[in-house]
Amino acid sequence: MSDSSKNPKILSDKVIDLLVSTTLQKNGVNIEKAKSQLSDEQKKMFKDLVEDLAKQVDSFMKKPPVDKKESK
Amino acid sequence: MSKCYDDYESNRRKRKRREEENDRNKHEDAEVVQDGVQKSFIDQESDELVWIKDSCNVEVQSTDTQAAVSLQVGLQLAIALVVSITIGDSDEGKSVAQELFQQFDAEQTNKQKVVIDNSKDVRITTTDTDLAVNIQALLQVLVALVVKLDVL
Repeated sequence: MSDSSKNPKILSDKVIDLLVSTTLQKNGVNIEKAKSQLSDEQKKMFKDLVEDLAKQVDSFMKKPPVDKKESK
Repeated sequence: MSKCYDDYESNRRKRKRREEENDRNKHEDAEVVQDGVQKSFIDQESDELVWIKDSCNVEVQSTDTQAAVSLQVGLQLAIALVVSITIGDSDEGKSVAQELFQQFDAEQTNKQKVVIDNSKDVRITTTDTDLAVNIQALLQVLVALVVKLDVL
């Protein structure tokens, strides 16, 4: 199997950032207006949610041990 | 006689034009339907086969695909939720969420076959790379989105 999954980041943050920015811009989204839609409580909830998901992804990536032994 | 023929011709032409119009309408309808229905479809197929024969002390560690798929759905939901609250459940919001997911929509097929025959003390680790890539990319999109919205 490929070892690419061991890389900490497959796509650079810049590419992702560009993708998100372009998508929002293309659809005429007003970022300032979008920001104002979130209450402080919702911001905290999303912060917790994202941190929790990041932890889950992190542990999923680290889960399997990498050493392989093969005998014939 | 000649008049009859002309009528026939014009009716035929009219009918033809009507059919063409119908075809065009059908086509336009199809586009509308497609825009409404097309959502995030990630067609993934993962086949894994580990065959152990006449062996002892073999340890197999494979990706927990179910956990990975749940994580993937969780990330997609989180992205959709952030978009829905901030941009709204309008066509604009739906389009943003759809476009973000669509970047990672691909038909993925992952087939692994491992055969262990007449062996001792073997440890195998298999990884479903496609799922791992998708999960990481979706997390990156979610983080980029919430950073833009001053959540993180």
